[in-house]
Amino acid sequence: MVEESPGDPSGYTQPWFCQSRCKTHHRCRNHSRCRRTKNRAISTFMRATQYTCMLLSYLIERKADKEKLVMKLKQLESSMSSGRKMFRLGNMVHALVAARKTTQLPDVVPRFCLTASNLTRALYFVCDAVLWLKSIGLQPDVDKLKWRNWATKCYYFSLLMNLARDWYEISWRLEQAVQGEKTKENSFWDKHNQELNCVRCGGLHGFLLLLFQILKRHPPLLLDLVKNLCDLSGPLDTLGICKTNPGVIGFCGVLSSLVGILTLASPQLKLKQ
Amino acid sequence: METWVRFSAQSQAKERLFRAAQYACALAGDTLRRNGASAGVLASVRQLEAHLSLGRKLMRLGSSAEALEAAKRAIHLSDMVLRFCVTLSHLNRAMYFACDNVLWAGKTGLVPSVDQEKWGQRSFRYYLFALIVNLSRDAYEIRILMEREANGKRAKGNENGCQLRADNGLQQLGLRLQIQLRLLIRILWNNPPLLLDVVKNACDLFIPLDKLGLYKTNPGFVGLCGLTSSILSILTILHPWLKLKP
Repeated sequence: MVEESPGDPSGYTQPWFCQSRCKTHHRCRNHSRCRRTKNRAISTFMRATQYTCMLLSYLIERKADKEKLVMKLKQLESSMSSGRKMFRLGNMVHALVAARKTTQLPDVVPRFCLTASNLTRALYFVCDAVLWLKSIGLQPDVDKLKWRNWATKCYYFSLLMNLARDWYEISWRLEQAVQGEKTKENSFWDKHNQELNCVRCGGLHGFLLLLFQILKRHPPLLLDLVKNLCDLSGPLDTLGICKTNPGVIGFCGVLSSLVGILTLASPQLKLKQ
Repeated sequence: METWVRFSAQSQAKERLFRAAQYACALAGDTLRRNGASAGVLASVRQLEAHLSLGRKLMRLGSSAEALEAAKRAIHLSDMVLRFCVTLSHLNRAMYFACDNVLWAGKTGLVPSVDQEKWGQRSFRYYLFALIVNLSRDAYEIRILMEREANGKRAKGNENGCQLRADNGLQQLGLRLQIQLRLLIRILWNNPPLLLDVVKNACDLFIPLDKLGLYKTNPGFVGLCGLTSSILSILTILHPWLKLKP
């Protein structure tokens, strides 16, 4: 099972709603490979629901006669959260298998970043399992704060590794674009590279425009970047690095879950390793 | 490790694992109680079982729609009896899951006015009926296979005719029953998917029978039956050829 929250450890990219896409079976809801990512769909929807409840309860908390609704939203949120924790048991194996796969990547930087990310994600799942045992009362003498702190640190580190990999992908594409720009003297007639003229405009403005163009041309990279940045809000708040409020965390969580749902529905939008 | 990843990535696999764990807790709880374990341990086991049950209910929130889809597909089966049985079974399962969703909403406090007892009984009634329909489908399959075997044997000649020449009617009946039983065992042995399905449904049957009060056993036996049927179900996921088609 691939858990949505700390990113996607394993590489299964079959669409969960693949009736029209599966060429081998006419109605492939029963095709076991096509059902594989149903687990991801379940956990992504649970995550989206959890963060939507968080956001909604933050927004309507202040209102006068909505206490009952807020309480219901908080209850739904906590039941989604504990359900997800249970659903995630056993994902540390997924993360370790993914780490083993990523040690065979050709480029050094993605190999290092993704392997480190998967290993720390495995540690995160271990901490998560311990916290689940505590929450159901099987291990009452577990220091919840300490383990939660460790879990958040592992998750934070794995997100930073993912972002480093995203930045590597962006930077070599940037370099490629700038090189291509430099070798073309008459690029004004080339519509495709017309925007690259702004590199000459210089400085931050040109750089940002180039970045924007690159991200527009590579939707998987853009979606992965957005997802990792949104996921960052939670650990930044928990670790006290950049304190926000539950509304911001909820909103970022909903956004990253939507990206997750999008990559599930169209696997071509998933950033390939 | 790769096997685990492939296994747990499948949709039903984790739910079955948790089901096995839930019934193992029920069995363990009953065994510990009989052997005089402390109240603390019993409470932990019961709490774990309750958490697993609630978690499974959450995982099954979309199963009602899936069962309806499966029922829609089953309408196109060629054999009439199979079509009827499989469709009816899926429809009952869909109703069971719908009642289960209502129970989940009540347990998590979203809809506090849900009468847990009433909806629980309702859901078990649908579950029982689905299991009965499944067992009648199994009986139909067995009957067809037995007829086929019996016809095949008759075509081979009357070598077996001398066996039926018994002195009185009771002995004749006993012999006939023996032959049928042997035939049944041979058919089931040669058809592992059918055998697995029969055993699974038979084990599952004790759960609603106990919960509805129709045939009360003890929680340990119910746990054992649930655990057995979950393990068999996990086997059919690991080896898809063991699943009874359609």
